[in-house]
Amino acid sequence: MDRLKTLMDWFDVRLGVREILRSNLQGYLLPRHVNIWYSLGAVLLALFTLQFLSGILLLVYYLPAADKAFVSVERIMNAVPYGWLIRTLHMVGSNIIVAVLLLHLLSVLFMGAYKKPRELTWLSGFGLFNLSLILCLTGYLLPWSQLSFWATTVATDAAGAVPWIGEGLVTFLRGSPSVGAGTLGRFFALHVVAFPLLFLGLVGFHLFCVRRAGISVPPFGPSARPAGVGTTFQHEVHRDGIPFFPNYTVKELAVVMFVLAGLVAITVFAPALFLPPDALEPADPFTTPDHIKPEWYFLWAYQTLKIFPSKLMGLAAQGGAMTLLALLPFLDRGEERRPFHRPLFLTLYGLGILLLLGLSIWGHRS
Amino acid sequence: MDTGRQGPSERRLFLLSMLAGVGALLGAIAVWPLYRYLAPQGGGGTTEQVAIPLSDVPLGAARFFDYHGRPAVLVQVQAGEYVALSAVCTHLGCIVKWVGEKRHFLCPCHGGQFAPTGAVLAGPPPQPLASYRVIVQSGKLLVG
Amino acid sequence: MKRGVLASLTLLLATVMPLTAAYAESTSASGEAAAAETVCLQCHGGQAGRLGAPVSPWRQSIHAKNGISCHDCHGGDPADFAQAMSPERGFLDVPAAAAIADFCGRCHVGVREDYLASAHGRARERGPHCVTCHGSHTVQAATLELINAKDCSRCHEFGRAGQIKEAVAAVDARILAVERDIAAMHRIGFATRELQDELFNLRNAFHRLFHTVDVNKVRKETEDFSRQLDFLDGKIAALHAELQWRQLVGSGVILLLLAAGVLLLLLRKTYADEERGRKEE
Ligand code: HEM
Ligand code: FES
Repeated sequence: MDRLKTLMDWFDVRLGVREILRSNLQGYLLPRHVNIWYSLGAVLLALFTLQFLSGILLLVYYLPAADKAFVSVERIMNAVPYGWLIRTLHMVGSNIIVAVLLLHLLSVLFMGAYKKPRELTWLSGFGLFNLSLILCLTGYLLPWSQLSFWATTVATDAAGAVPWIGEGLVTFLRGSPSVGAGTLGRFFALHVVAFPLLFLGLVGFHLFCVRRAGISVPPFGPSARPAGVGTTFQHEVHRDGIPFFPNYTVKELAVVMFVLAGLVAITVFAPALFLPPDALEPADPFTTPDHIKPEWYFLWAYQTLKIFPSKLMGLAAQGGAMTLLALLPFLDRGEERRPFHRPLFLTLYGLGILLLLGLSIWGHRS
Repeated sequence: MDTGRQGPSERRLFLLSMLAGVGALLGAIAVWPLYRYLAPQGGGGTTEQVAIPLSDVPLGAARFFDYHGRPAVLVQVQAGEYVALSAVCTHLGCIVKWVGEKRHFLCPCHGGQFAPTGAVLAGPPPQPLASYRVIVQSGKLLVG
Repeated sequence: MKRGVLASLTLLLATVMPLTAAYAESTSASGEAAAAETVCLQCHGGQAGRLGAPVSPWRQSIHAKNGISCHDCHGGDPADFAQAMSPERGFLDVPAAAAIADFCGRCHVGVREDYLASAHGRARERGPHCVTCHGSHTVQAATLELINAKDCSRCHEFGRAGQIKEAVAAVDARILAVERDIAAMHRIGFATRELQDELFNLRNAFHRLFHTVDVNKVRKETEDFSRQLDFLDGKIAALHAELQWRQLVGSGVILLLLAAGVLLLLLRKTYADEERGRKEE
């Protein structure tokens, strides 16, 4: 115990760590009524940590070459002790992350937490959302299964609808006219190095924004406050709030434990849930499987592209919707944050979710 | 406030110790797969003999081969007389070379020299090269 | 400043969208369409009567499913309209009854051998040949149903055929069961190619056996096949055991995680009590 204190003193004298810890843990006060939805950010941090760990472990045995990738994954699943565990956790984890991302985004949206002064938090979060989806997309190719191959073929093909440069863009994305060894090389580099680095930087910025602006007061009950910024920077303090650590972190940890329990449950009891039959056959560039469907979180996009008469219009509609969402804090400048005092927003919010669900179900059925 | 007999801090101590127990168990369960996943594989069967065709080792020549994951070398010193040695120099682990005309091993790193028996002739190596048993059986050399 | 942020953001989205938009139209090129439409199919597909008749049964057949097309049996040149049916290009017309076993036996070598040596084969001038039971262009994966009173009693009484059917029924059922087990294991990510290959060989050897139509031989050898199936069953049982072990330990981990979650919530409550206490002061 004494040793620990001496060590702490050593660092404290030089870097003032005690003061950093105090002001960010016990001294960092959250709004008294902060609810369970505020713990989703922590859940995401935990899940991404797990994702990084399992990903690094997979790299020990995975071989990024067109003629070896599938076999190496098969070996991880069958021959390497507990390889199945690492790989299934990584695969199921990615799906759970997307689900939690959606919940985080929707709850932040519902509570109007994107409004000033948190525009940058929202923007960086939205960037993280897109980056996560791209990580899913690039990771999908790596096992070099029929599913990997054809999903990537179709996904990269969509870029061909961009006017003028479409065809060149597709070839550039693929590294060759059609998906092949070259595509695997670049997707591998992106998935395991480039995007994770970008991701870490963006998460850092996101957390910085969250911490600097202070956690928003939940927009319910008498303590709700309108959104706003003054003429100078002001950290949103909550004088009678509860300490972030340990009072709130225990609750966050509880939610993390429940989500992890779900992750393990799927991993051992329903390992095939996110593993369609085509994911079990090695890629064959000359045979397209019969009914390939994207994963559940891309179904809405898939269906949108099918509805519009031209691919370009479909892409533009999606791009438009996503851009609108990204820029929401700059378009919706009202100071009211209480959802039930914002009937227009609430209606659009509900309709938007229904549209997304409807498109996804339609895409799944079609 | 009279929610229970014990105050929050006593309950907390109890809960924390339970939590520590659960955490330790979970940690232990997580470490085992991790260790197994990373542990070297295929190390089993280290007692197996390694077979090399006789024709690979002509008189005065050396044949390098893998002996249970470590470099080793076979030499036919005199007609029909074979020796098998570890090829890893006992000084700092470089792989020795066979100098046919001088009939000894030379380590390229710091000039250590070994006799065909494995004994140190010159240079910094502190110990002789480990030697393995060789038998000739139906056209093959069995090492180990 | 703000406009710069917006502009670069739009740019970011413009590059990101094509990717997330992803997974464009469905590709519905089915396996069959991918199999080349040969000149044989192009001509005969449109013909009426005898000359066009084989095309549509073939499309439903096990041959079509495995990419075996007209020219694979009948020879000829599937890429040249003029020379498609020229004997110089190896075209073979409908084989004579006695030659049918050799016709099919070019691929089904083992079965041909056992059939030719059998009572059926020795009587092939008038007796049953391959297509008598299996059909020609409609050919389906063989099942036990092919041995039935109606078909066998076209030539002789069902008695001995029935005995053969009985003798092989159990093994046949086991082969089907093992096949289902392997498929289930494959579905959840186990590598089963080796098992599949072993079963494939076993099934082929077993199918040869019927064709001897020799009751004693069939009885004797089905025991052998049973033993081989025991071996496959053992391997599958090992996979099942592994799966159960995973689920057992997994359940333990789930319970521990849930326990940790509940403990943390209780811990949260101790703090909440304090917070409430502090507020009331
Ligand atoms: C990798 C993904 C992400 C991580 C690791 C992450 C992490 C966090 C964390 C730890 C917090 C603070 C606690 C909380 O309110 O939950 C937070 C808050 C926030 N996040 Fe995220 N986030 C991610 C993605 C997103 C996305 C996709 C959005 C929306 C597009 C978003 C928007 C916000 C906003 C606006 C806040 C402030 C909430 C408030 O102060 O009330 N984040 N995030
Ligand atoms: S390593 Fe061989 S002499 Fe130094």
